[in-house]
Amino acid sequence: MTSPSPSSRKSLSKIACNRLQKELVEWELNPPAGFKHKVTDNLQRWVIEVNGAPGTLYAGETYQLQVDFPEHYPMEAPQVIFIPPAPLHPHIYSNGHICLDILYDSWSPAMTVSSICISILSMLSSSPAKQRPADNDRYVKNCRNGRSPKETRWWFHDDKV
Amino acid sequence: MSPTVAANAIAKQAEQLKQDGNFCFTKNRFGAAIDAYTEAIALCPNVPIYWTNRALCHRKRNDWTRVEEDCKRAIQLDHNSVKAHYMLGLALLQRKEYAEGVKELEKAMDLGRGANPHGYMIEEIWQELAKAKYLQWEHESTKRSWELQNLKEACEGALEEKHLRDSVEVEGFLDETTEAYSEQLEALGRVFRKAAEGDTPAEVPDYLCCKITLDIFRDPVITPSGVTYERAEILEHLQKVGKFDPITREPLYPSQLVPNLAIKEAVRAFLDQHGWAYKTD
Repeated sequence: MTSPSPSSRKSLSKIACNRLQKELVEWELNPPAGFKHKVTDNLQRWVIEVNGAPGTLYAGETYQLQVDFPEHYPMEAPQVIFIPPAPLHPHIYSNGHICLDILYDSWSPAMTVSSICISILSMLSSSPAKQRPADNDRYVKNCRNGRSPKETRWWFHDDKV
Repeated sequence: MSPTVAANAIAKQAEQLKQDGNFCFTKNRFGAAIDAYTEAIALCPNVPIYWTNRALCHRKRNDWTRVEEDCKRAIQLDHNSVKAHYMLGLALLQRKEYAEGVKELEKAMDLGRGANPHGYMIEEIWQELAKAKYLQWEHESTKRSWELQNLKEACEGALEEKHLRDSVEVEGFLDETTEAYSEQLEALGRVFRKAAEGDTPAEVPDYLCCKITLDIFRDPVITPSGVTYERAEILEHLQKVGKFDPITREPLYPSQLVPNLAIKEAVRAFLDQHGWAYKTD
């Protein structure tokens, strides 16, 4: 597994806690279409079920996202990965890491778990082919020591997919 | 020794006593700290900080009468003392003087925001203020709902009595009067539910909430893009994340933020009508 264990992370700040509670309430009232939050008592790690949108390459398939929140969320982006097996996609590595700018350099504190989910689903839906990124093996090997995708220096060279 | 030199020597001695008091305070020796500040006050009674420092010691010992006395003296000397207004507010709340206490806390917060908008004091004052406002609401809404409940029962009783009277008088039209009666009961229920709406906890409307905190605004500021944020949060974003508007991603600098007075007024009006929204968990 590539993510650090929850015990090694700092617990949520009061502001982060407050905000996540509000996001959770809003999610329960108004969940994004195609997603299901698996309710646990752990506010700092959400596991979310994703259903491929009908009419796309991923229709009928189900995947799981793992969202880990840092102490200073939302001033820092959460870590979002697919729990393997990850969908076959030119921007998703076999270890579950996702190459998507809003999760890293282009994060904004006005984004929410819900808006991240919608971005990920739209990334899946617009995929032209089910294949791994060209550098998949090299990247996954580099991550063997449990490196977080947030430590990767991503190159977002393709914004068409 | 000339009078000024003598006065300077006294002031210096008082300052030293204050330092001693501060040291004792950090060691949690509040009695000794109070003695030191008391001596400093005896030498220089016109320095407001000696009074507020001593008040802080009294606060630690839950001696609220003395907190109130010292803070009132400090305010006489300096109308703009955040700490004096803050602790005076707390002391008044202890005496269940809610309205006066809340007024002092609000004064402290306005003064504190002007001096140092990110200070730890602001958060602490806000927490105390919200707690007091929530208690005040709880107290008043309990009274209101009790009154409504009594009134509702009286109205229902009166309707029932009328219905019984009518059904004896107009024998043969029993179905119609029963139907009218149950309709009236239902309408009565609606009226009373409506009357209790303001005191029923619900969601705060989105337009009164910051898109970063998702919480009701305290100190709203607007960006050139027209989006409103909580001041402390947008400043932190500009410092830590980047110099852009979090929603529109237009370039943004701290100097461009302007208080959104209309939203501030709207929040105040909403909170006046819906005290439950002060809940801070």
